[in-house]
Amino acid sequence: TAVISPQDPTLLIGSSLLATCSVHGDPPGATAEGLYWTLNGRRLPPELSRVLNASTLALALANLNGSRQQSGDNLVCHARDGSILAGSCLYVGLPPEKPVNISCWSKNMKDLTCRWTPGAHGETFLHTNYSLKYKLRWYGQDNTCEEYHTVGPHSCHIPKDLALFTPYEIWVEATNRLGSARSDVLTLDILDVVTTDPPPDVHVSRVGGLEDQLSVRWVSPPALKDFLFQAKYQIRYRVEDSVDWKVVDDVSNQTSCRLAGLKPGTVYFVQVRCNPFGIYGSKKAGIWSEWSHPTAASTPRSERSGPGGGACEPRGGEPSSGPVRRELKQFLGWLKKHAYCSNLSFRLYDQWRAWMQKSHKTRNQDEGILPSGRRGTARGPAR
Amino acid sequence: MPTGDSWGMLACLCTVLWHLPAVPALNRTGDPGPGPSIQKTYDLTRYLEHQLRSLAGTYLNYLGPPFNEPDFNPPRLGAETLPRATVNLEVWQSLNDKLRLTQNYEAYSHLLCYLRGLNRQAATAELRRSLAHFCTSLQGLLGSIAGVMAALGYPLPQPLPGTEPTWTPGPAHSDFLQKMDDFWLLKELQTWLWRSAKDFNRLKKKMQPPAAAVTLHLGARGF
Repeated sequence: TAVISPQDPTLLIGSSLLATCSVHGDPPGATAEGLYWTLNGRRLPPELSRVLNASTLALALANLNGSRQQSGDNLVCHARDGSILAGSCLYVGLPPEKPVNISCWSKNMKDLTCRWTPGAHGETFLHTNYSLKYKLRWYGQDNTCEEYHTVGPHSCHIPKDLALFTPYEIWVEATNRLGSARSDVLTLDILDVVTTDPPPDVHVSRVGGLEDQLSVRWVSPPALKDFLFQAKYQIRYRVEDSVDWKVVDDVSNQTSCRLAGLKPGTVYFVQVRCNPFGIYGSKKAGIWSEWSHPTAASTPRSERSGPGGGACEPRGGEPSSGPVRRELKQFLGWLKKHAYCSNLSFRLYDQWRAWMQKSHKTRNQDEGILPSGRRGTARGPAR
Repeated sequence: MPTGDSWGMLACLCTVLWHLPAVPALNRTGDPGPGPSIQKTYDLTRYLEHQLRSLAGTYLNYLGPPFNEPDFNPPRLGAETLPRATVNLEVWQSLNDKLRLTQNYEAYSHLLCYLRGLNRQAATAELRRSLAHFCTSLQGLLGSIAGVMAALGYPLPQPLPGTEPTWTPGPAHSDFLQKMDDFWLLKELQTWLWRSAKDFNRLKKKMQPPAAAVTLHLGARGF
């Protein structure tokens, strides 16, 4: 047998190493004659080796590269017949860099998940251990997060015992064989980074016979029902075969929306997400939830395409549909103020349109006043 | 690198595993006999063999060359305590059922213990998960063997005091030596799974009516 020295050394990239392989014991009279080195299975050139004395072979390596695998480079001393006499693992790398970009969010104020990025140059070639630490700002004790890799390789999840109303200080410590580094401290209040589940029970349905509209309904996420907050919602929708989503922003505290300006006879996929902003009076926006599972519905088929626009006016809706409905909105608003038609509304207008389609009459003819329909809540936004 | 404390902990863990409560005997009323359990055990060994192939491949790549090179054959130093699957053909053929099952059970108890100790701090989270998953499957195999033994009325082997499996820590168990130990552990696991498939196949044929006798195909491992 033999012994390699040093055993399992740790080295900085670019440094040099002087190693020795000393044979001893059996067979008696074993010498350094015929011994050779391999590194990661490859025989090293003989000019790097030198016989120091009868029983010792030396090796000089310069300008070492980062380790090929994190378990260490395998430096092996072989007997003349190729058998392995001894081995040593070389750990060649860099100390860790300061982790950066810590971001955290709390699901329904019950837990905290944080993510970070390892330092700028990434690869240290050595196994680097990350530890997320946190403490309440004015109450001394440091805590260490224990559930790692929950949302990717550099993440950690704190499942319970979180305090509200006092800020947390959060940081990440990176350690490897060559040293350690600590990120900057992130100070945050749980109430400012709340996210929630996507709205459940999203339903998309047709609006009577209207071929360019769909109605979206959802429920406020139940987990936050006991907490005072204002929900903001966002809706996005796309045509079945497209990858371009249209987004409806600014849907505040409603649980329904009418999409307009859609193509008739088309399948649409719709998703809704929620932002629980203003929890307990926090002035900051919360964090958007994931999008709800896509729900699909199709608009009715028709020969004629109607005017576009609608209660929840989409950003980037068809330009031709915008002005007609906008003007109509303004007219109705004016009418309401100056005339006795207090139950005039978009809804009434839509009912009229549907009735018009059914009777196959042209729009320009004056067919008389529609019989007064249901008095529901106005779907038009009271801007 | 495992410290002295880790070895102590490992010895303790292995002792706990060794004292696993005996599996209660199967309810005998109207039961179909040990046949289905034997079949299930056989199937499990094949499944584990398949799982091990993928796990070993990944693990040996993690250890790096030459460990992941084919025909790599380092000296078996610390691996002397591993239960050996390789056995003389005649000895193997002449094993009675009880001994055959006992050897399998004892082997996997040891191997599971060592596998759990394969607590490489540096391994990736994914590798640790694969190892944990494999350990669970291996635990399942142990349970299955215990079930067969119970069905046939054989007692589960109890360890003699002083023969409990403990990892032999060298004076300074170097990382390279640890890598070699890991290599042999995986190799021995592989060999045991090959052998167990044949053990349970043999048992299965024994339990069948004579008309269904089939010649046993023995692999090139000296069986």
